[in-house]
Amino acid sequence: MRCSETAANPPALVLSALRKSFAKPAVDGLDLTVRAGEFYALLGPNGAGKTTTLRMVAGLLPADSGDIHVFGIDVRRQAIAAKRIVAWLPDEPMLYDKLDPLEYLEFVAGLWGVEPKRAQRLADELLETLGLWAHRRERCEGFSRGMKQKVALAGALVHEPRLLMLDEPLTGLDAAAARLVKDLLAERVRRGATIILTTHILEVAERLADRIGIIQRGRLIAQGTLAELRVAGGAHEASLEDLFLNLTGQDARAA
Amino acid sequence: MRLKPGSFAWLVAHDLRQSWRAFASLFGDMARVRIALVIGAAILALHLVAWPVALWIGAMEDGPAGSAALSAYTASGAIFVLPWIIAQSMTATTRALYGRGDLDLLFASPISARVVLGARALVMAIDAIASVATLLLPLANVNALAGHPHWLAIYPALLASGLFGSGLGLGLALALFLLVGPKRTRLVSQVAATLVGASFVLGVQGFNLLPAPTRAWVLRAFAAPESASAATALDLLWLPVRAASGEPGAILAWLLLGVIVFAAATLAFGERFAAAAILSAGAPVAGGRERKARAFRASLGATLRAKERRLVWRDPWLMSQMLLQIVYTLPVGVILWRNGGVTGSVGLAFTPTIVVISAQLAGSLAWVALSGEDAPEFLATAPVTRGQIERRKIEAIALPIALLLGAPILAVTIASPWSGLCATLFSLGAGASAALINLWRQSPSRKSMVLRRHSQSKLVGLIEHLLSILWAVAACTAILRSWTVLIPVALIAFTLWLNRPRSQSARKFSPSTAA
Repeated sequence: MRCSETAANPPALVLSALRKSFAKPAVDGLDLTVRAGEFYALLGPNGAGKTTTLRMVAGLLPADSGDIHVFGIDVRRQAIAAKRIVAWLPDEPMLYDKLDPLEYLEFVAGLWGVEPKRAQRLADELLETLGLWAHRRERCEGFSRGMKQKVALAGALVHEPRLLMLDEPLTGLDAAAARLVKDLLAERVRRGATIILTTHILEVAERLADRIGIIQRGRLIAQGTLAELRVAGGAHEASLEDLFLNLTGQDARAA
Repeated sequence: MRLKPGSFAWLVAHDLRQSWRAFASLFGDMARVRIALVIGAAILALHLVAWPVALWIGAMEDGPAGSAALSAYTASGAIFVLPWIIAQSMTATTRALYGRGDLDLLFASPISARVVLGARALVMAIDAIASVATLLLPLANVNALAGHPHWLAIYPALLASGLFGSGLGLGLALALFLLVGPKRTRLVSQVAATLVGASFVLGVQGFNLLPAPTRAWVLRAFAAPESASAATALDLLWLPVRAASGEPGAILAWLLLGVIVFAAATLAFGERFAAAAILSAGAPVAGGRERKARAFRASLGATLRAKERRLVWRDPWLMSQMLLQIVYTLPVGVILWRNGGVTGSVGLAFTPTIVVISAQLAGSLAWVALSGEDAPEFLATAPVTRGQIERRKIEAIALPIALLLGAPILAVTIASPWSGLCATLFSLGAGASAALINLWRQSPSRKSMVLRRHSQSKLVGLIEHLLSILWAVAACTAILRSWTVLIPVALIAFTLWLNRPRSQSARKFSPSTAA
């Protein structure tokens, strides 16, 4: 069930004419709206501007121009208020090798000001769910890439963000762990959280996302449910992969 | 000439190139020609500095006692150089084992482990020799130019010492690996290397505490080995000293011994090294044992302080580097004390040492906490301001410094309450100013670079040293109750004022620089 978008129930994310340039434009006048409680997949070829966009939302990069609103909060003016309800999980886990998972979660909860008893309960639940309980007192430096990714995901979830942004969250995970993470994310959306995910595994977007946005050269070139994208692409039986390659003009090169 | 890929020489060339690039990176983006010019200028400067020392040594040698007058100095040199090389080798071996780097690639290739280890150990030896050569060889060259060519014997003696020390260090690190296991070797080896490296300094402290007759006996043994029975019985121990003094037979024997120890270590331990490297991959870390669950901390400050404390405490490399800083500062206090101080005051002797240690520790810890942050981007996504985080980090480093300096300050206070008060106030000031400089002039890097941090920002290094000297001078003048204390204090205030942050925008978080 979707909340209607009113002043009381604003969209989870609104980007208006967002721009960011490095040597050349990375994000070029991007307009994008993600509804509250939605699972949104942001797709695009390498260098399309996906990560740059999400880093601006997370407050890691200043935008050159344009507006970013998270649940009605202006990120550029009220950064701290926005960060309180947002979690950002990059493709490279941001961990401390010398801390164990429990200590890491305690640290994250402390940063986000989660009440200690509640944080401890949430941390225990997450460690159990993600299969990290047996490793909760081992330092992260000995962990595999997949385990580190799971610890980082637990960190992103321990403060119960309303908007969770994940950049390639399934990188390095084995099939069982990937399934676990997908189920966990779907469960979070069912409980009301909003998730924006970038991925090159199109099957994940196809199966999990309520809506899919495709960006190229820093602009949104298509958006909608899979059915809507098929209609827009004029190919009713096409897979997301076909549609993606077709829309981004990569089909000829792929062939 | 193209070296045969996969051969020993080819691997040595590869490792040397890596080693050179790591060294060149200390110069930032400087062009190769400029780096060469800087190194050339530094070598020339070292020779100029060595000139008066060489004249002094020459005068001693030409005196009535002849070259016997130099025995104690040569022996001291050997006692300093050998542990230094052994410690370097132990550290390099441990880091090679746990740092991984390209070991997986090398051991997956069809090259024998002995060749891999031999090449790596040779480059470790070259690195260790180079670090000592910069100090010793200018002295040898200038002495030779001044009419004492036998000083050139330092060249082969140093080469032999490098091979001997590296072989021994390698063997010791691997023996530790077998003795205490992969889980604890990293910590134990680092601590052992620190103690071995500092053994000369620690030995000098121990020597100063010996009774006068024993000190006299040791000095006699150093001055003329053949006159002390204990020394002649352990003639082998004098081999490096005799070699460095230019005895042809000793040079040959010492070279031969160095080559044998080095070759034996690499040949004998090649397979062991490979096995240790495989075992150390993913080895659980000491301290990772099951601990009693405890409640999460309630405040932001408590969690941040706990995090900083854990990260420093659990990093043996970091701990050993900071320990070394303290060990190398201690002799200043002992020298001041033994020379009686101007007034024979214990406070006057030890307060400047305490003040300097406070500044050094605060500088290192502040750099580790602020510039050596492992996950700056993660902190930037948290709903707290950068100022809040930095304040908590500074609080986190204050506690260990206070704990460490508490005992010596208490001792000084018991001896002289006024000196104790000065030590407290001026070490607080020194620590605070070193932390402030590192707060205002952050240079993001890896924690392990802590002792090389000044190569990134030479200006910060200079300011830190200047401030610690000024604080030490201020402490001394305050103890003497002189009004001149105002001069260093004013200079400190002026230096801090010059380095204050000019605008908030200058300190804005920049992920691209922090990453």
